[in-house]
Amino acid sequence: MENFVNALISGLISGSLYAAMALGLTIIYGVSRVFNFGHGVIAVIGAYLTWYFLSALGVPFLLATLLSMALMALFGWLLYRFTISPLLKKPNWEFSTVLFMLGAGILLENVVLQVFGPRVKSIPLLVEGALKAGFIQINWHELALIAIVVIAIAALSLFFKYSRTGQAMRAVAQSIPGAQVVGIHIEQIFGMTFALAFVVTGFSGILLGTKYYLNPHIGWEWMVKGFVIVTFGGLGSTGGAVVAALILGLVEAIATLYLGAIWVWPIWFVLFLVVLLLRPQGILGGRK
Amino acid sequence: MLNVKDLVCYYGDLQVLRQVSLQVEEGEVVALFGPNGHGKSTLLKAICGLQPPKSGSIQFKGEEIAGLPSHQIVERGLAYIPEERHLFTDMTVLENLYLGAYPRHARAAVKKNLEFVFHIFPRLAERRNQLCSTLSGGEARMVAIGRGLMSETSFLMVDEPSIGLSPGMKMAVFDAIRQIHQERGMTILIVEQEIQHALEMSHRIYLMKKGQIAFERKGDEIQVEEIEKAYF
Amino acid sequence: MKNLNWKSILYIGVMAFILLYPWLGASSYNKHLFILFFIWSIVAANWNLMMGYAGINSLGNIGFMAIGGYTAGILAKTFGVPPLLTVPIAGLVTSLVVTVALGLPALRLSGIYIALLTLIFADTLPSVLTQTREITGGAMGLHEIPPFYPGMDKTGAYYICFVFFLIVLYIIYRVIHSSTGMAFVALRDSENFAYCLGVNKFKERLKVFALSSLMTGAAGGMYVHALGDISPTTLGIEPFLLTIAMIELGGVGTFLGPILGAFVIVFGNEFLRLAGTLRLTLLGALICTIILFYPGGVIQFFTVLEHRIEAFLKRKTSPA
Repeated sequence: MENFVNALISGLISGSLYAAMALGLTIIYGVSRVFNFGHGVIAVIGAYLTWYFLSALGVPFLLATLLSMALMALFGWLLYRFTISPLLKKPNWEFSTVLFMLGAGILLENVVLQVFGPRVKSIPLLVEGALKAGFIQINWHELALIAIVVIAIAALSLFFKYSRTGQAMRAVAQSIPGAQVVGIHIEQIFGMTFALAFVVTGFSGILLGTKYYLNPHIGWEWMVKGFVIVTFGGLGSTGGAVVAALILGLVEAIATLYLGAIWVWPIWFVLFLVVLLLRPQGILGGRK
Repeated sequence: MLNVKDLVCYYGDLQVLRQVSLQVEEGEVVALFGPNGHGKSTLLKAICGLQPPKSGSIQFKGEEIAGLPSHQIVERGLAYIPEERHLFTDMTVLENLYLGAYPRHARAAVKKNLEFVFHIFPRLAERRNQLCSTLSGGEARMVAIGRGLMSETSFLMVDEPSIGLSPGMKMAVFDAIRQIHQERGMTILIVEQEIQHALEMSHRIYLMKKGQIAFERKGDEIQVEEIEKAYF
Repeated sequence: MKNLNWKSILYIGVMAFILLYPWLGASSYNKHLFILFFIWSIVAANWNLMMGYAGINSLGNIGFMAIGGYTAGILAKTFGVPPLLTVPIAGLVTSLVVTVALGLPALRLSGIYIALLTLIFADTLPSVLTQTREITGGAMGLHEIPPFYPGMDKTGAYYICFVFFLIVLYIIYRVIHSSTGMAFVALRDSENFAYCLGVNKFKERLKVFALSSLMTGAAGGMYVHALGDISPTTLGIEPFLLTIAMIELGGVGTFLGPILGAFVIVFGNEFLRLAGTLRLTLLGALICTIILFYPGGVIQFFTVLEHRIEAFLKRKTSPA
């Protein structure tokens, strides 16, 4: 019983981290229909940048995060403007963007490897110590992570609902001709979407980097899990991604408890197959 | 206000507009008739920036706008209400209308324009918090027109506003367009299949066939039968 | 009546060169490269059949080759099946597995979902291989797989693979120019139109999965008998990217494109090897550059060249 509850809590924690990580993927897809096959490395870059500011330059945590997020936004915008944008104008963009982002992902991953080296890094915990209540034990840090994710999701929702740009992004996601007719600058919104998504993804990388060890290649694993999550939740649905991430996090934790850690990957694959076959549009019916 | 000259448009290798010329004076209501598939929608799309023309000129308020991207044309006070409506279906009526006021210059006038839209379309006021996916065809058409009005526009291009609506709804839509013209002095270019109604409110009409303007007449100089005959 | 235009002469010349190359004093290493070229161009050509002709965005074709290779290797090594049989069996097994695991689900999916499914399929194969250590050799892979015939040398392997290369290319050529090939292209370009033509989407989709995985699996079988080893690194990111680079560089949706691309990549890979740890970085950069600036592939240059030669010849042979 105790193990089960602890597994649930663990699943909740990893689920929220996964949710943060999957959001960037679903935001880009929802607005621009580009599926970012380099998603994992973006999270890794966000984490490494922060690590760099923290460890190599001794910058305080908050400032390090802000700096790397600013860089991620710039990076996302530039990547869109100079590479994705021209590709979108050509035929077969759906797949050419996939291949391009794959190549870019490998390129960036190896640049990170060259610059930072193969040894693992980690981002220090925010808070030390743990909360103990009966048989339940949670690290304060992990609670902080959940709180941060909740706040981030809330902030994003507010952004999409009430800000001009957020509304424009939702508009573009629902109807590009409608957005054009209303006077929205589609190119500009796409660029800002990439910037926003890179910030969110980079931020999730930082959070993941506090819990797991960082190496340049870990992005691949996060990315494939992200793929399963957004497909499960419905491509383009941010709510779906969050719900799917939590469910998958819980399933993963419980499966690890009763079946063992080697079964994690096969389980993700099976879940992926199941959702693709039974309900390809995902649990919350994405493709908005 | 709008001066289109010798406009040529292609869809790939297919020529859709052949040297089309058309004018609309400020404060006028001009109707564009013609059989389906002969280029009327393409002409409107070219004017509002959704379809770049191959050659020719489009002058709006004295400024050349041919080939400009759509968002810049909306900023200059030209609004296009497409036949397909293209509403944001997962948003409410109110959210769609607010998005209509996206251009910079329209944001100051949001309150005023919203009141006007609800005045013209009282039904929308009742349904302001409803999702657009739950609206009827006529109501959705109203939202599309209202959304266009929110952009603080001085020139409205409406593509087949009455298509697919019940007779009662058609009347309501035409009355609304007439009201918009009268109360706001709005210049209107309307494409319609309901020749009778469109003719009644138009100062001038054009007939378009096979991507060209077949003829132009003053509204009171021509009869419905004559136009219908010209379709064939 | 054989029309001996300059193109046919060129092809025959190239064939003759390849045929005679070992006798012209080719080094063992160069023969090895040619063997790689023969096999990888088959993988690339089949991948191109799926992607370029049938419009199916598959990312898992490396996995097909691995399944074929492992099947042939296990059959030969553990069960002593002669290579002449292992290769076709490998092809059939691969075709069966892929058609069931990927082809059938792909019937209900489209675009990005197929890409995801095939990618994850290819991704899980290495862990399956590691778990089944006893049969597949785990992370170490299979070694000392029996060659095509006892005492085979590089030249023997060279010729056998060359013959295989010709046969499979011929098959692909025939498929592309048959009604099946046209059905593939119809499905890629316009599903509705294809439907009007009476093309059965499901049948053709299954066909392309079955066919290309059959030939790719057979290529995997050829690989293990020609080279003697296979391991999970054959499924790694590097062969994956290299194969993609082959198709993109050569020209998607053309017959010769993947072959050209394979040639450039296999022989050019040597330069990549010189770069050491920067290898993957350069590969990624290469793919990005090709997709951004030369989406039509190298074949574009050749088409231009072809036209220039035609024009030149016309001037020379027409009356003044």
